[in-house]
Amino acid sequence: MSPRLVDALGTYCPVPMALAGRAAVDLPPGEVIELLADDPLIEVDLPAWCHARGHALDSLHHDGDIYRARIRVAAGRSP
Amino acid sequence: MRAYLDHAAATPLDPRIVVVAQRFLGEEFGSPDGLHDAARRPSEALRRSREQIAGMIGAEPEEIILTSSGTESLNLGVKGLFAANRGLGGRIVATSVEHPATLAAARTATRAGGELTTVAVDGEARLRAEHLAAAVEEDTALVVVAHGQADVGTLQDLPALVGAVRGRRPDARILIDATATAGLVPIDVEALGADALAVAGPSLGAPGWSGALWVRAGARLHPLIEGGVQEGGKRAGEPSLPGAVALGAAAALAEAEMGARRRRLVPLTERLVDGVLSVPDVRLNGPRSGRIPGNVHVSVAGVEGESLALALATRGVAVSPGSACTAHAGKASPVLEAMGLEAPWTLSAILMTASWTTAAPEIDHAIAAFADSVATLRALSPVAR
Repeated sequence: MSPRLVDALGTYCPVPMALAGRAAVDLPPGEVIELLADDPLIEVDLPAWCHARGHALDSLHHDGDIYRARIRVAAGRSP
Repeated sequence: MRAYLDHAAATPLDPRIVVVAQRFLGEEFGSPDGLHDAARRPSEALRRSREQIAGMIGAEPEEIILTSSGTESLNLGVKGLFAANRGLGGRIVATSVEHPATLAAARTATRAGGELTTVAVDGEARLRAEHLAAAVEEDTALVVVAHGQADVGTLQDLPALVGAVRGRRPDARILIDATATAGLVPIDVEALGADALAVAGPSLGAPGWSGALWVRAGARLHPLIEGGVQEGGKRAGEPSLPGAVALGAAAALAEAEMGARRRRLVPLTERLVDGVLSVPDVRLNGPRSGRIPGNVHVSVAGVEGESLALALATRGVAVSPGSACTAHAGKASPVLEAMGLEAPWTLSAILMTASWTTAAPEIDHAIAAFADSVATLRALSPVAR
């Protein structure tokens, strides 16, 4: 199954995490969310958010201004 | 006797739409983002509306952004796609006869860096695929094409135009303006291969204060209104629930009834065209066939467009001046000028838009009132006598 793409470009905290959280609710455990964002705070916020909710942050890197993260959905977590 | 022929601006709501939308002006007052019981039905209604709009155009529900109007949809599409895809280049390409919202948004978007290229159309406002392809360059980030030209009604050959863009610049984003055609002319965004499509309420029988923007997943869009998670973060703020619900219900009805509506509307349009062209020195703008069903845009020698619209209003016939520029600034219609027309034709246009709800006697009354109004105004005019 290909990753669920979540386009959070142009939005600021907490919108990227809220959108990722909504996507996580719809997905079975183990599926991957690919999050696009351009708010630099994502470097701080996303690892913390994933840790708090039990999701695995497989990768987070940026190419220019655009951040691309891969989040593996945990089992039985709320948004 | 009265005749309402301004359905492109606003159209009476089908009672089936009123029934479902009214609940959200009354007992269903909750915010759809709430965590309590009052949020449940509003949240479900928004989800259903997205499904209905997506169903009409062959899209996925989560790709639908609900807006307040076609104008907002076009602004969000142009500015949002361009801002999020600047890595593709700094050029926007659009036809010279796009909706004023498209051209204004494109000018604003490129003001801080970038360039807008407008592509010429022919005498019937048709865009040729080779002309569009020639305008698309290596730095083109966004191409905007109206499915149907909102003034003169010309329908474009979208598959050929999308193909021409893809042949030159496969990654360029393509925004289709369907604000005058959605619900009247079938469209399948998946088959078309575009990236975004703007919808406005009236063409599908919904309020003018409702609209939507479809954006293909992965096409990237920046919001215009920020600060909330509504509409996937791409259009923050509480949505207009009555408008959204009405748009969804209208989309479902349009999808189910589009064929029947066209079968009723096309002969009515033909009858109106034949009637007004029976008056001497009247020209139909745009093609005789291949136009938006219900659209009749004419120029009348020796008569000024706004005066004719007012004269018709006194005879119980509602029409629109043929150009906002003419009505508000006394200028020639930029769309008619782009089609190669000159004065007096560019100053003398009116737009009549019928609906599938229009009755044949309304058409006949409008034709009689048109002939009488033109004769009266020409008798008053020092140049037309």
